[in-house]
Amino acid sequence: MDAPEAASFHDHFTALFQVHFPRLYRYLDRLSGEPELAADVAQEAFIRLFRRGSLPDAPEAWLISVAMNLFRNERSSRSRRSRLLTPARSEAVLSDGPPSPEQAAVSEDSRRRVRTAINGMPERERQLLLLRAEGYSYRDMAEALDLNEASIGTLLARARAAFRECYEDPDAP
Amino acid sequence: MHLDDEQLQRLLHAQLPSRAARNARDHLAECTECRERFVSAQQDEGRILGLLRQIDHAVPVVDPAALVGRLRWTTPPWGRWAAGIFLVLGMAGAAFALPGSPVPRWLRSAVEWVGGEKVPQSSGEPDPATLMAGIAAVPGPRFVIAFESPEPGGEARVRLSDGAQVTVRAPSGAASYTSTPNRLVIANAGTGARFDITIPRKAPRVEIRIAGTRVFLKQGARVTGAKPAADRGGYFIPLAPSNP
Repeated sequence: MDAPEAASFHDHFTALFQVHFPRLYRYLDRLSGEPELAADVAQEAFIRLFRRGSLPDAPEAWLISVAMNLFRNERSSRSRRSRLLTPARSEAVLSDGPPSPEQAAVSEDSRRRVRTAINGMPERERQLLLLRAEGYSYRDMAEALDLNEASIGTLLARARAAFRECYEDPDAP
Repeated sequence: MHLDDEQLQRLLHAQLPSRAARNARDHLAECTECRERFVSAQQDEGRILGLLRQIDHAVPVVDPAALVGRLRWTTPPWGRWAAGIFLVLGMAGAAFALPGSPVPRWLRSAVEWVGGEKVPQSSGEPDPATLMAGIAAVPGPRFVIAFESPEPGGEARVRLSDGAQVTVRAPSGAASYTSTPNRLVIANAGTGARFDITIPRKAPRVEIRIAGTRVFLKQGARVTGAKPAADRGGYFIPLAPSNP
């Protein structure tokens, strides 16, 4: 890669990071309920993209796929990589700061109920619902989850129904 | 014809092509049932998004430049291993080569311990044998070793061996050699060198000539024309013209 190409890639990478890092983090945070793990995995996914040296055809889908693989590995090993975490991340996530008035207004019970509902959903529906909540396109979702793009809408309708069911009746099998 | 779930969701999420989206909106304007389904899906989604936000944590503030900067200073695991191996090898080499270092002795002891044989200790000087050059030939029934010219200061030491070949060795570059089945010619002019010659005991007849004059003859077990060398065995032949 020559200097202009490297500079171009660096610019694209930075732009992609600024737009997609928050989305990827929120998706992983909601998926796992572990903000520290979500931050680690999201950063690691971007590190891998940078190491790749070029942007894939569908960078968002690529990032989701890589992040999901990392997430599964991290979850199974429960190991934590902290050496690449930036100080900013540590401050922002580990302390988390005082809750906002909006957050404070939401009872812990309600949050637990949402978490339980998410955890009770089938894996595929859970991922679809959470990806869509972050505004990912049907194409990216289909590619990242290896699904037929033509049926993403139908699957999303089912995912919403599954969430509703789990949320309203958490004791249902 | 009503909109199916796929169309409804795609309309909701702006995932329909513009023409299809326009057609779907036209349909919603006319179809109460589909419109109610659409509104219900919208409300459902809004409510779920609101619930999901309840469990969000603050998005960490990460500077991509800092992340990449750290990455650049972070060597991958294989790189660290390679660097470690090179470092150890380099230190071992330096320890071995250091004057007075005990490492060569330890190494020799280790080799002797493993191999069970005594390893000769190097004096630090190059082995003269490694600086020698020469020629080997299987002697025919009447074999002649011919020095082309007498040479002041030159000499030849001849030994009988149990080998099958006649060998002639001299310091590297001191002479050049030509060999035929019954003759080995040594171009020794101006060398002043000492030549080490071995002759198979089993060779029936081997003679040595200097400028055509025979100075040594081995025929069967009998050797004539050369004095036995006093120091290390074998025979001594001066190559000087005054001492044929």
